Amino acid sequence: MDINGYLMFGCIFFFFVILYLIIKLCRVREQLSLIREALEDIKAGNLNRRVLTRESDMTKQICYGINEIAVGSQSLLIQQRQSEQAYKRLMTSLSHDVKTPLASLVGYLEAVEGKLVTGEEAEEYIHVASEKAYRLKEFVTSLFEWVKLDAGEQVYHFEVYDLNELSRNIMAEWIPVLESAGLDYEIDIPETEDTVRVDPNAYTRILNNLFQNILVHSEADHVTLHIAGEEQQIGITVTDNGKGISKENLPHIFDRLYQCDHSRSMQGNGLGLSIAKELVNAHGGTITASSTPGAGTTFTILLPKVL
Amino acid sequence: MSDFLIETRQLTKNYGDQTVVDSVNLHVKKGRIYGLLGRNGAGKTTIMKMILGLTPITSGEVKVFGRNIKGREKKVYPRIGAIIETPGFYPNLTGSENLEIFAKLRGTAAPNAVKRAMDVVGLPYKDKKLFGKYSMGMKQRLGIANAILHDPELLILDEPTNGLDPIGIAEVRNFILDLSKQEGKTILISSHILSEIALLADDIGIIDHGVLLEESSMRELEKKNSRYILLQVSDIPKASLILERQFHTQDYSVSDNHTLRIYDTSLNMAAVNKALMMEDVAVISSQLCNDTLEDYFKKITGGEGIA
Repeated sequence: MDINGYLMFGCIFFFFVILYLIIKLCRVREQLSLIREALEDIKAGNLNRRVLTRESDMTKQICYGINEIAVGSQSLLIQQRQSEQAYKRLMTSLSHDVKTPLASLVGYLEAVEGKLVTGEEAEEYIHVASEKAYRLKEFVTSLFEWVKLDAGEQVYHFEVYDLNELSRNIMAEWIPVLESAGLDYEIDIPETEDTVRVDPNAYTRILNNLFQNILVHSEADHVTLHIAGEEQQIGITVTDNGKGISKENLPHIFDRLYQCDHSRSMQGNGLGLSIAKELVNAHGGTITASSTPGAGTTFTILLPKVL
Repeated sequence: MSDFLIETRQLTKNYGDQTVVDSVNLHVKKGRIYGLLGRNGAGKTTIMKMILGLTPITSGEVKVFGRNIKGREKKVYPRIGAIIETPGFYPNLTGSENLEIFAKLRGTAAPNAVKRAMDVVGLPYKDKKLFGKYSMGMKQRLGIANAILHDPELLILDEPTNGLDPIGIAEVRNFILDLSKQEGKTILISSHILSEIALLADDIGIIDHGVLLEESSMRELEKKNSRYILLQVSDIPKASLILERQFHTQDYSVSDNHTLRIYDTSLNMAAVNKALMMEDVAVISSQLCNDTLEDYFKKITGGEGIA
């Protein structure tokens, strides 16, 4: 082979290299125009827009990066929208949860005041009216509590306490309530000390809400409180033998305003468990629930120990 | 950009002298689930095929992402994910391998796209099972995974729950809801089962013999599906007192100063009206709303019903 042959070979070689580069350049240009178009769209607010890219593309990492930003902003936006919707639902349920009992409360009182009922019947009317008033008061209290928690304005006073002692005191208040509601109870709190950094008011509220929830919703006739200290944390389990919570409802019971039975019965407001969860979180703990429909529900709270 | 991700105008399809889709004006809103409801052979699949350009349009036009798709197919289709009838997969490859091929062809929006898509539909990633050995339900799931592989803005799903068992149907329903509510995807879905659409859709289009009979939001339709007694009375407190004392129901809610809804439809309306009059409560109007969605569909499809 002479010089011409080599030259020829070289030319062909360079020709192919240039061809390859031109093709590559075209592909990148095409990609860039796709990216620009998608960016315009995302900028205009379409956060669902994605830039598609192939394994071999030079712009792959850029595309993945853009998509990641869009996905992130989108999920933030959706979270925001969901909490707005929760507020709207709150207002709707307010109008039912307040207006309806208030109307019938006025009805009872007017009947008494107008002497439509007398004697024993009048007294019963007043009794019903005051019960309704108390329930309203409770609802409004938990509503404000929840709004305060949700806005992050709750102020905690954490101190080191013996959780067992604290729990015993709370249960002492609950025993007469449980008895009058016809619930058997079993309380198993160790005699030893287990120290935890808690806000005693918040902790009381957590247990109260759990028991209140059992009382109103579970239809149980037996309830157990069991506290056991482990190395790092203390486990508080509250178990009932009531109707349980179905698999569909279970993941949502700590959501605000979630109510398993959608009937419009007057009891419960869908705030108790979500407040309990917020409070447990504030203590750096966790609260979970497990349930077998028809056999009962177990709530487990884990709080970190002070070592 | 308009609020409609899909909009059709006078969309028509003839096979010979037979009209299978007749002047359909469809409006799919951004971020919502649109349920196309109709019996088998009503024209649902043909409409979807025309939107996707899988079958030629006889007359009328299709706008996707706010613009006519004619001539822009290449730009538009990567932003849509679809499952129309049984998708074509290679029987002698595994599910993951099949999806890897589609990922290479179409490009992806994020790394690990195949694994993520399979996770969403609950199929094992890198499983050894060949597609040919898949059950009907698994095939259907792989089809959906393929539709969401490139994280599209718009999903077009033709009877995605066909061939699934009841548990599978519930699972598919849940992740379709998630795609819409958590990720803001717009979804057009067809079904011949009313209850299925009622659980999923935000908007609904009812199609019968190729004609779109009605297009409306689910919320509007649900108003037609409610069972309650609507009472307009002069004195709400008094009325609620009578309901509680004489009819022993608490299943009602107060809407405003003169309106209340009784959800306990077993109450005798005449007796309620009479009791209210006896107590000097003027009844402005009382009306029993006792329709079901099923009744409603029978009415608009001319007595034949749906499903």
